Amino acid sequence: MEEEEVGRVRQLIEKATDTTAAEVDPRLLKAIKSVVRHSDSELRTAAQTLMSLMKRNHSQVRYMSLLIIDELFMRSKLFRTLIVENLDQLLSFSMGFRKNMPLPAPQAVASRLHSKAIEFLEKWNASFGVHYRQLRLGFDYCKNNLRLQFPDIQGNATRIQQERREREIRTQEILHKKFKTLKESFPLIKEEIQSTVNEIEECLDIVSTKEEPVPPVPLDDEDCDDFRSREILQLRLASLKEAEKVHEDMDNKVLFDVLRELYRLLVTRHLVSVQQWISVVVKVDVTDNRQRDSTLKELINIQNKIQFVKRKCEELVSALPTTAKQNLEEEEDIWEEGKIEPRDNGSSTTLRNQYENPSVPSTSGLESMTSGGSIGESGGSKASIESGGGKNNSRTKLLVEAPVMRWGPYLDNWGSNSGVLANQRGLDLESHWGRVDYDAVIPAEKIAELSVQATLYKEEQVNIKPCHAPLSRGGLCQRRDLKVCPFHGPIIPRDSAGNPLDQNVSADGRTYGPETDLVKQLAKQAVKNVRTRDREDIEKRINDKQSLKRAKLAKIREHNEAVLREAALASTSRSADIAEDIDGIGTDKPSSRKKKETLASMLRKKVTTKDRLSERLLNARTTDATVRQLRSDEDSCYREAFPNQW
Amino acid sequence: MWKEIEKRESGRIRPRSFANRVKSSRVASLHLSNHKDIVSPHKGSVNSLQVDLTEGRYLLSGASDASAAVYDVQQPQKLEGGGLIAKHRPLFVIDKQHEHRHKYAISSAIWYPIDTGLFVTGSYDHYIKVWDTNSTQVVMNFKMPGKVYSTSMSSLATSHMLIAAGTEDVQVRLCDIASGAFAHTLSGHRDGVMTVQWSNSSEFVLITGGCDGAIRFWDIRRAGCFRVLDQSHSQLGRRPPLLERSAMTKGSTSRSLSGGQNMSKVAAVSRKSSHGNGTKHPGSNRISAKGPIKQRLHPGMLSGQDRATAHYGAVTGLKVSEDGMYLFSAGSDSRLRLWDIESGCNTLVNFETVRLQTNKPIQLSMCADSALVFVPCMTVVKAFDFWSGKTCFTFRGHYEYVNCCCYSAQDQELYTGGNDRQILVWSPFISYEADEGTTRNEDSWSD
Repeated sequence: MEEEEVGRVRQLIEKATDTTAAEVDPRLLKAIKSVVRHSDSELRTAAQTLMSLMKRNHSQVRYMSLLIIDELFMRSKLFRTLIVENLDQLLSFSMGFRKNMPLPAPQAVASRLHSKAIEFLEKWNASFGVHYRQLRLGFDYCKNNLRLQFPDIQGNATRIQQERREREIRTQEILHKKFKTLKESFPLIKEEIQSTVNEIEECLDIVSTKEEPVPPVPLDDEDCDDFRSREILQLRLASLKEAEKVHEDMDNKVLFDVLRELYRLLVTRHLVSVQQWISVVVKVDVTDNRQRDSTLKELINIQNKIQFVKRKCEELVSALPTTAKQNLEEEEDIWEEGKIEPRDNGSSTTLRNQYENPSVPSTSGLESMTSGGSIGESGGSKASIESGGGKNNSRTKLLVEAPVMRWGPYLDNWGSNSGVLANQRGLDLESHWGRVDYDAVIPAEKIAELSVQATLYKEEQVNIKPCHAPLSRGGLCQRRDLKVCPFHGPIIPRDSAGNPLDQNVSADGRTYGPETDLVKQLAKQAVKNVRTRDREDIEKRINDKQSLKRAKLAKIREHNEAVLREAALASTSRSADIAEDIDGIGTDKPSSRKKKETLASMLRKKVTTKDRLSERLLNARTTDATVRQLRSDEDSCYREAFPNQW
Repeated sequence: MWKEIEKRESGRIRPRSFANRVKSSRVASLHLSNHKDIVSPHKGSVNSLQVDLTEGRYLLSGASDASAAVYDVQQPQKLEGGGLIAKHRPLFVIDKQHEHRHKYAISSAIWYPIDTGLFVTGSYDHYIKVWDTNSTQVVMNFKMPGKVYSTSMSSLATSHMLIAAGTEDVQVRLCDIASGAFAHTLSGHRDGVMTVQWSNSSEFVLITGGCDGAIRFWDIRRAGCFRVLDQSHSQLGRRPPLLERSAMTKGSTSRSLSGGQNMSKVAAVSRKSSHGNGTKHPGSNRISAKGPIKQRLHPGMLSGQDRATAHYGAVTGLKVSEDGMYLFSAGSDSRLRLWDIESGCNTLVNFETVRLQTNKPIQLSMCADSALVFVPCMTVVKAFDFWSGKTCFTFRGHYEYVNCCCYSAQDQELYTGGNDRQILVWSPFISYEADEGTTRNEDSWSD
């Protein structure tokens, strides 16, 4: 029982380390932990096994064991004491700082192992260094003697926190200073703002009283136009509304100037500063909360008042700039424009359309052709085309259908069915090449055959849409793939936030009622279900077949092994053990052999072209041959140069 | 433990044996101390360690960066980790900033055996310096002909104040602190001298081990060495009682070659004299007894015995047992040998195979109570049983080669220093209550 148990944890650990993955299989890890937790002897074997695995000449195995060691180290005290005793070994196996024991083969894994070991050592030292002198020693040794760079995670975290705290303190200081100045200058500012507001109100009073009697008919000449069109009616209404506002003229120009000036002052200076003060007061952290609150209240009141006044100005006076941020020239520009044409706004384009459209039907076909070229410009123009002559209509239809051809001589007899006389070509040289058959005709089919258009394949310019899946760090994925994004799966239409739209609706563009939609979805689901069931059936059948075959093979193998074992038993007892071992591996986990191979394959060097070439060129036979050749060449040269010497 | 105390109370155990039992049980539980850190200021390998002989309280260390430091091993300067870790900082450091500093590595640093007012450092810059501990100033300066490998002072000397120095040079020099001059120049080695040790039984006997593999015994009152240990000259096990021993030496002499016959007789004589009355009265009667024979035998020894070797390769470490009867040696052939000083024989104790550093002298240490010898073996320190040669404990903690170890008999603590610049404390295991405030060391299973 005990032995079996002991074997279990070893098996588990060996299984967990025997992969090429970058992480320990969490299920295996959990199993190891739960086994080890309940018995100390298990823990001892685990430590032993892990240490022996650390000695394995393969970085991947070492890496996996190190990960497991870390897991257990952080949890069990006994394990810590066991590991700490051989810490120098563990460190030399995981960091490879001894010159005669560098880290083994897969280079990439080895470097990962190294960095991970350093990280772990730091972590262990931080959490358990107090209790284990060996840990402190190891850490000191790596830090001071080997000069390894520790990531210093804790130190970094505290440093960052410290920095943040300092920054906060600094901002608080600044805020305090600002708040202080505000407190000092608050009555003054209040007064100033109040005076500005008062002035504006006075101005407004004057303007409104003065402008009341002015009749609101600045658009008289347009009134006599026809009212049939709805658009014009709308325009009319808008202009009437606008006319209610006070307008500038020669009389109140001065007043308006003052008003404008004050308004600007209010919006660009006072409002902004009041908003800034509010934010300062909100952020500042003072002991005297009551005073802060009262200041805040007052500030908000002032802000509200300013905004109220601002709104009033905008309602009453049309010529004021609506936004505070426009710079001076722009503002002036607008005022001048306002003077000339006060109602030049968005509706003017529709107006122009309205004016132009009535002339469309009456113009010649040529013009309608141009408009037909750009189909779907606007609803109004389309309607006008449809109301035009039927001839025009068919022609545009044909134009849409017509193929686009290159220009060429074959266009001369486009669509003709008659043949062509072959020997009727103006300039004749009488019987130069013998008798001529003047009636020879090239048949139409032949001509058609000859004048077949070679079309070059042109790739269609596809606008590949970006994936637009939401990324974890914000933003949308900008990868452009045809069908499937390697990171986010198949590309589907998404809304602006990156959420997938329902495909049923968006794919075919039509809108169904909710019931039809549901029905369709259900149908689809049903079809899918049926298909998956079919597929499973097929798979099952295949699996059955395979398992049958496998069982047969296993039976054969079993028989073979039995025979072998018998033979081995006859010779030695030791070989029987081995045979059993092999047996265990073979039947226990058929996949292990494959995995072993992959572990070994990590070690195998990739054969490069250079290697192959060198193998070809540098083997003994070729070098010998080359040397011989060279020598004989040299000899012959020598003999030629000195023929009289022997 | 309580039973022992009870026995002691009732007088069934003698006080000394009680103390010995307690001590040996403490030694048996030596482990790397978590509660006692010596903060090493050294930036090079630690080459030498010694606890002072009078109080057993001050540890002296010498390192390759030409620095030496003294620590108080009983009173920590600072507690860390919630009072769990006692940090022992150096009381003072002599390093490159000091005006009389050594130029190159300090190979050995020893206390003046009488008190802690002086200490001696020998360095690769050819100098031996004597320092005043309290003022940390150089009191005396000896220029040697080569790199100093090892220095030694006799702990039982009453009539001389000599520093024996083993250097690159073939001659062993004795520096007299009283006069500030070389008192003796002992020549006989054919290569540099790695280690020197004074005998623990006679204040006039000096033992040196050289790079030529010879261990030589010198009586400083007369010229020439009087014995060279021969590894092939062996006896089995411990020396038998007195009567049988004389018979056995006779037997062995009869068996040995004619050249060695005289030698062993001499050895027997000198043994009798040096052991029997060495400490009590280093008198003149012995000289009269031994002198003439020695002088007569000197030429013969030169021809036959002078070429004997104790190790193949250099002798890197020597340690005389506390009773002065046995000598323990380590060689660059990675062998450890236990010699019977009196007979001059290899006792053939088979110490388990180890690997030793070969190019540096190593400092051995002994624990008399439980008959252990501590040997730095590459990165670990091993404790061997004296008589059986079995490895009792292995102290694993250093990350690079260990150069020296020093056992403090008073505290039953072991101090080791190595190439990784650390000085480690190995102390008897005491179970501390786990009531530390900071982080508790216990299992934390989440699932």
